[in-house]
Amino acid sequence: MSGLAIGIVVLNVVLALLFSLGAAPILVWIERRVAGLIQDRLGPNRCHIAGIRLGGLVQSLADMLKLFFKEDFRANAIREKFLFSLAPVIVFVSAFLSFMVMPFADDVYVEGERFIMQGLPIDTGVLWFLALAGLSVYGIMIGGWASRNKYALLGAMRSGAQVISYEAAMGLSLISVLLCYPSVQLGDIVRAQGELLGGILPAWGIFLQPLAALIFIVTAFAEANRTPFDLAEGESEIVGGFHTEYGAMRFGLFFVGEYVAMSASSALIVTLFFGGFQLPYLNTQTLHVTMPLILGALGIVVPLGSFYCIRWMRKHNRWALPNDRRNRESAWLSNIIIGLNGILAAGIGYGLIVGLSSFSTHMLTALLQVVTFALKLLAMNFVFVWVRWTLPRFRYDQLQMLGWKVLMPLALANIIVTASVIVLKGA
Amino acid sequence: MGVKIVPRHGKTLREKLYLPAIFGGMKTTLRHFTANLGDTPQIKTFSYPEEQPQDIGERYRGVHRLTKREDGSVRCVACFMCASACPAECIFIEAQEREDGVDEKMPKRFDIDLLECVFCGACVEACPCDAIRMDSGIFSFIGKKREDFIQTKEQLLAREAKENA
Repeated sequence: MSGLAIGIVVLNVVLALLFSLGAAPILVWIERRVAGLIQDRLGPNRCHIAGIRLGGLVQSLADMLKLFFKEDFRANAIREKFLFSLAPVIVFVSAFLSFMVMPFADDVYVEGERFIMQGLPIDTGVLWFLALAGLSVYGIMIGGWASRNKYALLGAMRSGAQVISYEAAMGLSLISVLLCYPSVQLGDIVRAQGELLGGILPAWGIFLQPLAALIFIVTAFAEANRTPFDLAEGESEIVGGFHTEYGAMRFGLFFVGEYVAMSASSALIVTLFFGGFQLPYLNTQTLHVTMPLILGALGIVVPLGSFYCIRWMRKHNRWALPNDRRNRESAWLSNIIIGLNGILAAGIGYGLIVGLSSFSTHMLTALLQVVTFALKLLAMNFVFVWVRWTLPRFRYDQLQMLGWKVLMPLALANIIVTASVIVLKGA
Repeated sequence: MGVKIVPRHGKTLREKLYLPAIFGGMKTTLRHFTANLGDTPQIKTFSYPEEQPQDIGERYRGVHRLTKREDGSVRCVACFMCASACPAECIFIEAQEREDGVDEKMPKRFDIDLLECVFCGACVEACPCDAIRMDSGIFSFIGKKREDFIQTKEQLLAREAKENA
């Protein structure tokens, strides 16, 4: 293995960490700020390190720090101490591992060697995700049972029944998607979505399989235990649900695990239905050919975006006291953005004047695709948060009704229709 | 009077699909989100310790004060009306003879335990001499020990009415 190859593998692992684990504080921040703005409040915005607030992002760091330094408390009534400690680990690890098969970019060929751009370079794809997503319910069940608390047990039972019944609909909706694509490997599925449908629409899963997309998104919400399906923790009736007895970093693992699971679900939704790393109308081959043009376009779009960003910041990033050092943050951040733009412009200018080698074209394509994937992931995570602050929680019988009587038959019908169309087209 | 028939909802296909209603709700929340993101200063939230509330009105019941006569001496005659009216029993008065001829009685001690006080204003209503008032406009009282919250006669006399009240 050459140094470059090792570099790419390390890069993949770092990216997978960044998108799942690194996303958790950012998602917490997004959740709280979006909730605030939706409800006509501000959300957390006071926390700062030497005046740097980053719009409240520092609050997430402070919260994590607090969870780390809290007393690791466990009630004496809890007998199964090992299982009690194991539960958050299972939730966290299964959520974390399920992210590992998401492709961030098209396969990269370096010196004739093929590199799959995902955390674990394996071909199991969707199956890996389904297996690990199903595992997380064990963490919740064990945690709820080992807590020796009726609320925790009730929450765990609700959650278990919910996840198991929605997994059926989820698996069935996936079958019709997999019928459309030749492989279970997510990279192949995304490559197939780079084509055009009838020359107009990109062949994204949502256009090919709108019903499956809807069912999958709904069941993904249930699988990640997010509102409107967060029955595992109904504050009004069963306190905190399965994590009632947990505190400090044990609770922190549950908490982070929830956000990582949400991020993983978003990643799979994006990969299956929204074209994954594909830019619409620009698949990998087109990107290779038109790279100078795209760089030129970026050279215009990014400074323009930065200009509006800085203008927005000047207007909004204020602090009530005029002499507070938090007021100096905007100028500081503006300078950083301008500096980054300068570096970008210099890089693009150099690339366009000197000309791009085949290797750098491939690397830039991969970079562009990683950025595309990240933006789509962010958008899908925003949808998760947006739905949470819009819809109320389901009642338990309504939840099961929706799962078994609506989503499951719809998914089955969808399979039959899809299969018939494919057979008729083949015949 | 005719019989009023209330229309029941949830029977049409559109309503049974749920999705139009869900998307409608999401549109509403997104509208709030974008409006607030585009113009945060219009959000009513204020940064509390830095920005003080401006809507403390004339009748707001803040921390008590004892009023004074024209010559600057205490107006209270230690009649115990406020202490009797107090539902929380947080007013402790010790009376003494008034020697300067202005009146017959005055309080030697006049303590209010703010930790017990429920800020009901019954003492202000009960006072026959307008000697105790709650118009200081102080809505947040801070102390480091429990003893700090027992307001003595001197502290109560030193406090002034809120300016614009």
